[in-house]
Amino acid sequence: MDKTAEKKQSIGSLLIGKFGVIAGLFVLCFIFSMLSSVFLAPGNIRNILIQAGTNSIIAAGMTFVILAAGIDLSVGSIVALSSVLGASIMKSTGNVVLGIAVALAVGAFLGFFNGVIIAYLDFPPFIVTLSTMWLYRGSAYVFTGGQAIVNLPDGNMTLALGRFIGIPYIVWLIIIVYIVCFIVLARMTFGRKVYAVGDNAESARLSGINVKAVRAIVFTISGFLAAVGGVILMSRLNSGQPIAGQSFEMTAIAAAVIGGTSLTKGGVGSIGGTLIGALFISALMNGLIILNVSAFWQQVVMGIVVLIAIGIDRYRKTLSNS
Amino acid sequence: MSTHNSEPLLAIRHVNKQYPGVKALDDVTLEMNAGEVMALLGENGAGKSTLVKVLSGAISRDSGEVLLGGRALPMDNTPLTARAFGIAIIYQELSLLPQLDVAENIFLTHEPTSFGSLIDYKKMHELARAQLDKLEASYIDTHAKVETLSLPERQLVEIAKALAIDCRVIIMDEPTTSLTWEETDHLFEMVRRLKSQNVAVVYISHRMDEVFQISDTVAVMRDGRLIDKVMTKDTDSVKVVEMMTGKLLEHKDRRPEDCTVIYDDAHVVMEVKDATDGKKIKDASFKVYAHEVLGFAGLVGAQRTELARAIFGADRLVHGEVTVSGRRIFNRTPTDSIRNHIGYLSENRKEEGLNLGMTLEENVVLIDMSKVSRRGYLSRSKITEIFENYRASTRIKGTGKQLVSSLSGGNQQKVAISKWLHSGCSLLIFDEPTRGIDVAAKAEIYAIIRKFAEEQVAAIVISSDVRELADVCDRVLVMSRGEIVHEIMPEGISQENILHSIVNKGGKKSNG
Repeated sequence: MDKTAEKKQSIGSLLIGKFGVIAGLFVLCFIFSMLSSVFLAPGNIRNILIQAGTNSIIAAGMTFVILAAGIDLSVGSIVALSSVLGASIMKSTGNVVLGIAVALAVGAFLGFFNGVIIAYLDFPPFIVTLSTMWLYRGSAYVFTGGQAIVNLPDGNMTLALGRFIGIPYIVWLIIIVYIVCFIVLARMTFGRKVYAVGDNAESARLSGINVKAVRAIVFTISGFLAAVGGVILMSRLNSGQPIAGQSFEMTAIAAAVIGGTSLTKGGVGSIGGTLIGALFISALMNGLIILNVSAFWQQVVMGIVVLIAIGIDRYRKTLSNS
Repeated sequence: MSTHNSEPLLAIRHVNKQYPGVKALDDVTLEMNAGEVMALLGENGAGKSTLVKVLSGAISRDSGEVLLGGRALPMDNTPLTARAFGIAIIYQELSLLPQLDVAENIFLTHEPTSFGSLIDYKKMHELARAQLDKLEASYIDTHAKVETLSLPERQLVEIAKALAIDCRVIIMDEPTTSLTWEETDHLFEMVRRLKSQNVAVVYISHRMDEVFQISDTVAVMRDGRLIDKVMTKDTDSVKVVEMMTGKLLEHKDRRPEDCTVIYDDAHVVMEVKDATDGKKIKDASFKVYAHEVLGFAGLVGAQRTELARAIFGADRLVHGEVTVSGRRIFNRTPTDSIRNHIGYLSENRKEEGLNLGMTLEENVVLIDMSKVSRRGYLSRSKITEIFENYRASTRIKGTGKQLVSSLSGGNQQKVAISKWLHSGCSLLIFDEPTRGIDVAAKAEIYAIIRKFAEEQVAAIVISSDVRELADVCDRVLVMSRGEIVHEIMPEGISQENILHSIVNKGGKKSNG
């Protein structure tokens, strides 16, 4: 490739790629701050970050799965099943930490179950997680009889309400999860394997990578992080709800896609992009609520935003092919 | 040839087709007369299937013209247009719809109608009956679902389908692959009948005996070019294979005195015994000696790649054993094999050899990341350092942070080779290491292979290029249809010898 073409391409792809989402986020914040004086108030920024909590953490797990050329539709149901099981333990033992530990273990196990079927029985991820979406949700309903588990110990609210040096625990949690995910994906050998499996599974296999194990692990990570999102939700709602997490999978996928992770080609994307994508969604929803836009229109806007993100993804692909 | 008029039925003139990084068709010019049976030959990747796809409208050509009976096929040829021009293809994997019945398949998309647009099933079955009767296939029920038919019966339906559109050129792509000898005879009878109806038949096959039995002319392609088209009666299989694999140019074969390998049992480093995969490979046994470059020769279909993949653990062996330095090993997966220090450089570098969406340096360290990481943490400076070493020693033109997809074929191959050099494997199988690579890069890759064998344990080279084998190998094994049929020792290494054993062994087997 000649030098000028290389340069031109890198500038073009940077503009709409890595910095595109960040630029989009700034433009969005600028527009909302023009339309409403409340938007950039510290209290509201904190709200945006807290509201991004559950979705951003689920989306981090989703990014692992999508990078490995998979999809996980069951995360919303994992939120529900892990949090009702955690809540019931919490309620019966009075031990908050034990309840959270159970919720996380359940989430990891449910993700592992997805991963084993997908990797070792070679079933398509879409179908498997579509099935377990119902399976897990149904189990949450059966377990609770459809009722929310309430009257949890007071300690359960600590996560939602607590702050450390002025910053909410939930925001700290987001920061920690993303730093760990960044290190794993960008700085560890396992991350290279995830990208390699997503980019070309056969080449990865012939390079001695245990493709099945990588697949099983990314779904386990996704299940675990869904449960982390469920624990946040359980704390904020101060209850375990079997209806919690409906359509969370879609918001998580949207965050990854807006952040530049490709649904059509594995191995393309980054965890940082997903974080920006999740913040973008949270800021968008918050701004629309402040402006009193009806909930119905919020969904319309959301659909348009995801379409634009996919359009950018396609455009980037034609750029890199030319 | 049976025709006398000077106007050819099919004229392909200066047709080009460029794929990213490879010229699939390079100025191909070819003519065929009505009633001519032309065998189209060439190794994998020679351009046969691209040419066929251009004719059938599956892909469009970049430039050049195709005339059928004097009418030009449009540049934006589609399968529908090609059929309207009378070009029909009988694919290796048959293209019939198994859930529809015979008549529905024969008349798919041009069903006879009545009352404007209603399908006239009665008429359709009558016409289908007539077509099949013409092919002396009256035993096939036009109401039978295609999935209930045997393979040769389906082939007959395919031919009937082609004739139903009044086709003038039929392309048969490896039609006998799944047929018994008897069924093959029957197919040949059919080809002769088509010929007598002045249909031109393009016959693609790797079976040399069939080619000489059925064809009037032989056209050979290599590297996207038409090498030559000759009358079948004026040539023989040695000449044809020579055209397919490359001319015996002025060339210095590897001299026996250059070979320093000691061929005794004490120097066996790997032994494969009775390798059988239950499908294609039958009881393949061979030994590899210390520091040798062992070649595998054979035509397409000799199953050399399949044998290599099975030894490497990419596919399964149902029977047989592999011993390395006297220790029996079990390569159930590539991971096992790499742990046993046996590597395999795939012939498909794009599909299997490389991660095109990742950078050069990520690719090079992918197999063994232990040298560039501690407790799972990657050291980016180590990665760069290691990559720079390989970049210098294999002379890769590219930077570490570049995506592999942006490189030329030769440089991609050097990245794939560097990846295996870094893997720590001491016995490496190079499968078609120089396919689609320019001459200068070829010489560099040969040097890498020789050096590897001398410094490490041994190298195996699978190649369809006879010159390459004579150039780089100490010893050559010839395979045919899943069996090792001949061994050429260092003193016998020459292009002529390798070529003759490929042809003779291949020919003998297929006749017997």
